[in-house]
Amino acid sequence: MLQNAIADALNNTEWAFPLAECFHIPAFALSIGTITLVDLRLLGVALRGESPAKLLKDTEPWTLVGLIVVVLSGTILYLSQTAIYLANSSFYFKIACLLVAIIYNYTIHRKVAASPDVSPGVAKLVALVSLALWVAVVFGGIFIAFV
Amino acid sequence: MTISESIQNIDFLTAIRESALVYPVLLGTHLACIAVFGGMILMTDLRLLGLSLKSLTITQVVGSLRPWKRVGGVIMITAGLLLGSSEAVKYAPNPYFWTKMTVLSLIGIHALIFRPLVYNNTEELDRSPVIPTKAKVAASLSLVLWLSMACLGRLIAYYEPRQAAPQAFIFIK
Repeated sequence: MLQNAIADALNNTEWAFPLAECFHIPAFALSIGTITLVDLRLLGVALRGESPAKLLKDTEPWTLVGLIVVVLSGTILYLSQTAIYLANSSFYFKIACLLVAIIYNYTIHRKVAASPDVSPGVAKLVALVSLALWVAVVFGGIFIAFV
Repeated sequence: MTISESIQNIDFLTAIRESALVYPVLLGTHLACIAVFGGMILMTDLRLLGLSLKSLTITQVVGSLRPWKRVGGVIMITAGLLLGSSEAVKYAPNPYFWTKMTVLSLIGIHALIFRPLVYNNTEELDRSPVIPTKAKVAASLSLVLWLSMACLGRLIAYYEPRQAAPQAFIFIK
C-alpha cells in the first residue's frame, strides 16, 4: 500500500525521478570520494601529510552523510518501479556489490585504516579491494539501463 | 548533412553508438570518475570552507590532490566527449547539453580567476589566522558549478525533442 502510494507519487510527478537522481550522483561522489581519499592514503600516493587513521576520522562523517543520502535517494528510485528493478540482473549485481562494499568499509577497511601498524602490503591490498568494490557498484548501476 | 551528423558518422563514433557494450562502459567510466575524482573536488572545497580535513593544511590538500584531479579530469572529459560526439545528432538540439557546456566553460573561467588568487596561493591562505573570504567564495562557486554539472548531465537524458512535423509541413508547402 505505502509502496504503491510512493510509486504513484513518483510516477505522476515528472520531476521526481530526475530530482532523486540529482541527489544520488553528488551523494555517491561524496561517499565514494571520501572513501577513495583513505584508499589513496593507504596506497601511499596522496595526502601523506596525515596518517590514514586521522584521515579516516576526518572523512568518516562526510562518508556517512553521503551514504545516507545515496541510499535514501536510491530507495526512492527503486520504489518508483520495483518490478522493473527486480527483473534486472544488473540491479542484483549492484545491490550485492553495495552490501559487500558497505560491510567491507565498516569492518576490514576501517580496521586497517585505523590501525597504526599494518604492513604496507596489506594496506595496499585493502585499498585496492575497496576501490574495486565501489567502482563495481557504479558500473552495476549504469548497466541497469543497458541490460 | 548537418555538422552533428558528420561528427557522429566518423567511423569509430558510429562504432561506439552501435556497440551494446562500449557505450555503457564509457558511461560507467564517466560516472566512476565522478565518484572517485568528483569527491576530491568536493573535499577540496570543504577544506577551503574550513569544514573538513582541518588537520591538513590547505597547501597539503590542494597540492596532494591536484595530480589525481588532473588524471580524473582527463579520463572523465575523454569519456564525456566520446559519449556526446557519438550521439551528436541527439545532443545538438538538447538544451540541457548546451547548458552543461556553458557551465563547463564557467568552470574554466572560475579556474582562470581563482587559480592565481586561491589554488596557486595556498601558502598565503595557510598563514592567515582565518580562512580568507576569497577562498570561501572560490569553494562555494566551485560547489555550485560542479553540482550543476552533475544534475545537468543527468537531465540531458530527459529532453524529448518536439515532433519534426511542422518543419516538414513548411518544406512540402
